[in-house]
Amino acid sequence: MSEPERDDFYVGYFDQAPSVVGAFVKGKVLLLLVLVAGVAALLALAQGTFAPAVFEFGNVRDFEGVIATKPYPMLRVSRPGESPGEAPTWSRYFLVDPFKFGADERVANLDGKRVRLSGTLVYRDDQTMIEIDASKDIEVLGEAAGGGAGLSFGTVTLVGEIVDSKCFLGVMNPGELKPHKACAVRCVSGGIPPVLVVRDGQGAARYFMLADTNGGQVNDRVLDLIAEPVRIQGEMVRMDNLWVLKADPATYQLVK
Amino acid sequence: MSLNYQAVGWNRQKKIYDRTMVLGVLLYLGLFIGITATTNPTATAETLMIRGFGTAALLLLHIILAIGPLARLNPMFLPLLYNRRHMGVTMFVLALAHAVLAMIQFHAGGDQFPLISLFTSNGDYSSVSQFPFQPLGFFALAILFFMAATSHDFWLANLTAPTWKRLHMMVYVAYFLLIGHVVLGVLQAESSPFLAGVLGLGAAVVWGLHLTSAWLEKADDEEGNGEGFVDVCAVEDIPEKRARIVCLSGERVAVFKYDGKVSAISNVCRHQNGPLGEGKVVDGCVTCPWHGYQYRPHDGASPPPFTEKVPTFRVKVSEGRVLVDPRPLAPGTAVEPAVIAENAAEELSS
Ligand code: FES
Repeated sequence: MSEPERDDFYVGYFDQAPSVVGAFVKGKVLLLLVLVAGVAALLALAQGTFAPAVFEFGNVRDFEGVIATKPYPMLRVSRPGESPGEAPTWSRYFLVDPFKFGADERVANLDGKRVRLSGTLVYRDDQTMIEIDASKDIEVLGEAAGGGAGLSFGTVTLVGEIVDSKCFLGVMNPGELKPHKACAVRCVSGGIPPVLVVRDGQGAARYFMLADTNGGQVNDRVLDLIAEPVRIQGEMVRMDNLWVLKADPATYQLVK
Repeated sequence: MSLNYQAVGWNRQKKIYDRTMVLGVLLYLGLFIGITATTNPTATAETLMIRGFGTAALLLLHIILAIGPLARLNPMFLPLLYNRRHMGVTMFVLALAHAVLAMIQFHAGGDQFPLISLFTSNGDYSSVSQFPFQPLGFFALAILFFMAATSHDFWLANLTAPTWKRLHMMVYVAYFLLIGHVVLGVLQAESSPFLAGVLGLGAAVVWGLHLTSAWLEKADDEEGNGEGFVDVCAVEDIPEKRARIVCLSGERVAVFKYDGKVSAISNVCRHQNGPLGEGKVVDGCVTCPWHGYQYRPHDGASPPPFTEKVPTFRVKVSEGRVLVDPRPLAPGTAVEPAVIAENAAEELSS
């Protein structure tokens, strides 16, 4: 084919594009790359900030404490008193299994037992969770006094979002709202403790484990209400450093 | 040009095209993930990747959708159109990475089979704001998969060009599903107006280009009445070795002027429905601007050994005007080209 016939006419199977076309395309492609870079930066910076929530993935530690199974599996760990001579206090860590499962079966026979177990820490704000290392057995060290049923603080009405505590506390980040809804349903359905996250005026979060009026688990009864704003009226109960909100899930209301 | 789905090989241009595209994808992923990880140290790696791959695929889809109308508005964009399928397949791979990671992250390791969980864990199908957005992404991905899988010329040849083209129009269905996926998904949790703004801007660019190019084409179409020969344009309206595209009885016809003659053939290339009227007469043959299939202007047939044929139309030139019979002749029918009389041309120019 003779060169003059080609001028600005482009056919894809030629090895070399005509120079006018080549220069034009080169310019436009450069522009496009700049645009691509701009969009990348804009989208990256426009995302909401990620919460300071941590999952110490790959870092397995040993813990010693007393198992409490109600309403959800927890490990009570004694803390030295703040000033010398003061009685020790207790902290509670949520206990969950790997993946999207609760630890109920694993600790079913261990209520009130003093144990040593291995797991990975998950934490956010003042809440702490241990994902139990399933490859190691929980070592029973002895009996201990139970934690009791907690201390009632009367009836309250709270508005917040029901989340699966595992993802919210840091296994996934972000672990809340609509994009995470399907996952939260999966997790709660698998036994992860459902928690009501209530934000105060400043955006700081308070956490309430959800239980029914008998202190039983509510997982299967809250699946439809996850990741949406809900209003719950119930009895506020304190278990060491954690709060439980006891109410019949049938009375939870969606806030429209 | 039959049996030739290997004919368009991997040449230098394709390599440049692919290399530039990969560079663009890496540039995007590097910047998005890099900036996010730096500004948000607690973001998890899976989230970075899910978001990075997802947004990269969506951006690439916008680019893909913009190239078609751009090339129609300005043929200089044609090099980008050619090989656009490579972009399509790349976009599918990015979308697939996004989907697989999201599937593992959100649905695997639970008390339900992940694919079932995808459709059932959020069962709010009757709500608007809570509508499950993940199935929308799933169906869009299924369409993209289907398109990527049939993107090879082998399928084009076996499904025939019009069917293939219709199948690949499904990309618009995928586009709308993905807009729903984003609007009902991540935008329900993110509050920055920039995110919705960028999405809206992208839609405006894509649809603005589509509407403009469609509108300009419509304005170009001179409707014939379907009876006898139709006056389509003046001889001098057609540049030498080029065509004017006219619409006659609902069919697009490319009227070519070359070597003192005028011929009319269907505007639709047999390969992938490329616009022959935007091509050029090269070495005596009408050459499609998309992938270079060639047809002889007088009988619409590809030169041997190729066997493609397009319909032809009878033409006349009279008093400097081009007249075309709007009834298409069977593909490959030879038609005597209309000769442009020297004096007629002179008459007109004087
Ligand atoms: S459409 Fe591919 S050569 Fe015409």
